[in-house]
Amino acid sequence: MLGIWIGKLILWILMLRGRDATSLPGKVALRIAPGLLRRFGGRVKRVIAVTGTNGKTTTTSLLASMVAETEPVVTNHKGANLAQGIATAFLRACSWTGRLRANTAVLEIDEATLPVVARDLPIGVIVVTNVFRDQLDRYGELDGTLAKLLDGIRQTQATLVLNGDDPLCRYLGLRSSRKVLYYGMRRETARSPRREQMRDGQFCLMCGQPLRYDGFWYGQLGLYRCEGCDFVRPHPLYQGELQGGFLRFSEEGLPALMLDLPAAGLYNAYNVLAAVSAARALGLPSAAIHGGLRAYRPPEGRMQRFDLEAPVTLHLIKNPTGCDSVLDAVVSDARAKLLVIGVNDLAADGRDVSWLWDADFELLVEDARLTCVIATGLRAYDMALRLKYAGFPESRIRLEPDLIAALKEGISSSAAAGAAMHALVTYTLLHPAARWLSERRDQLEPQGALYRTSVS
Amino acid sequence: MSRKALCIAHLYPDLLNLYADRGNITVLRRRLEWRGYDVDVVRVTHGEVPDFSRYHLVLLGGGSDREQAIVADKLRGCKAEFQSAVQDGLPVLAICGGYQLLGEFYQLPSGEKVPGLALVDMVTEAMPDAPRLIGNIAVWSEEVGVIVGFENHGGRTRHGHRPLGRVLHGHGNDGVSGEEGLRHLRIWGTYVHGPLLPKNPALADAVLRDALAYAHLPDELEPLDDRLEREARAAFAALRMADVAPMLRSEAGSP
Ligand SMILES: [Zn+2]
Repeated sequence: MLGIWIGKLILWILMLRGRDATSLPGKVALRIAPGLLRRFGGRVKRVIAVTGTNGKTTTTSLLASMVAETEPVVTNHKGANLAQGIATAFLRACSWTGRLRANTAVLEIDEATLPVVARDLPIGVIVVTNVFRDQLDRYGELDGTLAKLLDGIRQTQATLVLNGDDPLCRYLGLRSSRKVLYYGMRRETARSPRREQMRDGQFCLMCGQPLRYDGFWYGQLGLYRCEGCDFVRPHPLYQGELQGGFLRFSEEGLPALMLDLPAAGLYNAYNVLAAVSAARALGLPSAAIHGGLRAYRPPEGRMQRFDLEAPVTLHLIKNPTGCDSVLDAVVSDARAKLLVIGVNDLAADGRDVSWLWDADFELLVEDARLTCVIATGLRAYDMALRLKYAGFPESRIRLEPDLIAALKEGISSSAAAGAAMHALVTYTLLHPAARWLSERRDQLEPQGALYRTSVS
Repeated sequence: MSRKALCIAHLYPDLLNLYADRGNITVLRRRLEWRGYDVDVVRVTHGEVPDFSRYHLVLLGGGSDREQAIVADKLRGCKAEFQSAVQDGLPVLAICGGYQLLGEFYQLPSGEKVPGLALVDMVTEAMPDAPRLIGNIAVWSEEVGVIVGFENHGGRTRHGHRPLGRVLHGHGNDGVSGEEGLRHLRIWGTYVHGPLLPKNPALADAVLRDALAYAHLPDELEPLDDRLEREARAAFAALRMADVAPMLRSEAGSP
């Protein structure tokens, strides 16, 4: 009980001060009461866990939003996906006596945290979005991530909702001996690879032979099959297909759904597909699925927009595959534009910044509407060097290691040129950037309101 | 192809792709192109057999243990050709896992020995309880000055050749000898990535001079404007390796 009180108290103080309270209350509460998660786990009927490398924050938010259409739900926000973040989510939702109003929790859980918390929570469904190379210095190598996921899955009796287009997810499905429901894009929409795309795990994990691909979506997601054994992309139960700004979702025997996409691009389409597949697995009605998508607001750094002196879009970049999808979205923006790219090398960003060289910054060189890039963050010089060797003219690269100064410079240059600004930042720069941009918007808003009144 | 064409082979980029070796290839290619050379980069993928008679430089990058074993297996099939080209002076830049592959074997924590190519007199062992050697690294090389980057390896390497340089900051070959990397014939072996070459232009040029010499081309390279590279080296050291920062600060200030 003491743990809950102290956790709630810290939460309350932090919120009063307007501070970010996604982890600290849970961290302190868990130190006082190590059994806290098990206690909370005993008070909800079901937990849906979302894990994987890319897209788990968005998928979690989308799914929580859909569940919330039908019943109260506990969920963790802003990617606080370690044990302390999960504990904080419960603290936020419970009363001072520890009572919960919700029966269902939709939780984003870090791959390495899953085996640690799996026994404490009544996990009925586990969604794995994909397994890409991510944060090597934390996990060693890719095989470690798979082993942790498998360990976590085996501690539960959960039904798995897996990305069938990802051979690593398929491997998890085959090795877990749990009930598995696969989702994937419609076969006919796969394309041939455009560049030297990285494809981790392109060797069959069952027999070691090379995997052959008949088509790709992105990264290692595609129509794979093993040359040496019967390891092959499964026919997905839930299928998605991009049609204009919509995702056509189909499941055999049921009418197809045309779904709104909250953000553009294939990458986001996969997140929607994952969330809707999990919603179907839970038996949510289509009204809740549509309603949840409409109610969803992109969290920090997932193409978050700010209307300032120039229009600003904030993106999180954290690994090559995710970064490529952001670069894809940036170059497909038809407006004149300026970029601020911020790279830090703290623990949460990954201390090794070599991944910048695996991301396709060459895409920017071909974008005639891009006037200038401002490199910022602790590793601003590494970013500038990456752009130089991508073939971006050195005369159009500016260096400003201080994040706020870089954002200011970017906004005033964009405004002067009538251009849009995109800010791409790594994890530890995300909250400072989002906070500064929202404060700036709040300062501008009274003037904006005045201006609008006078013209109407 | 013009008279000044150089052929660089990137061996098994689909298997050995853990540490952004694509960045090293980009740097080699650009630094030649900026000087008016034509560059042909051959990506030798898992289904192909390398043709060592065509190449002027070979790059071997790093991969996971499983993938390294596959590469060792493939390269043993053409070991004689590789070996004789290296004896004739074919330059090899081998990084991390690729570096370990050059030796006689790589012993996994389980005790299992993955045989290497035995191009050099070298062995690597990964002890079950020893921690991985991870972090920023700086190395002093008589040939090219300070080399900076990041290292991340479980294996401890010992060899009977010259090292690439002495460790100024970080771990190096085995974490105790104070030595990093290997130099033998025109082989450059190292654990430094990050990737290796963008922030070490002097090393990139030294490797390229080896490749030009092997191709029987004049091996003088016009100087390039490396101000940004020098600033990046200095900024990195100032931020993460204060003990070597003064050496790089004086270099950045030089014209
Ligand atoms: Zn197979």
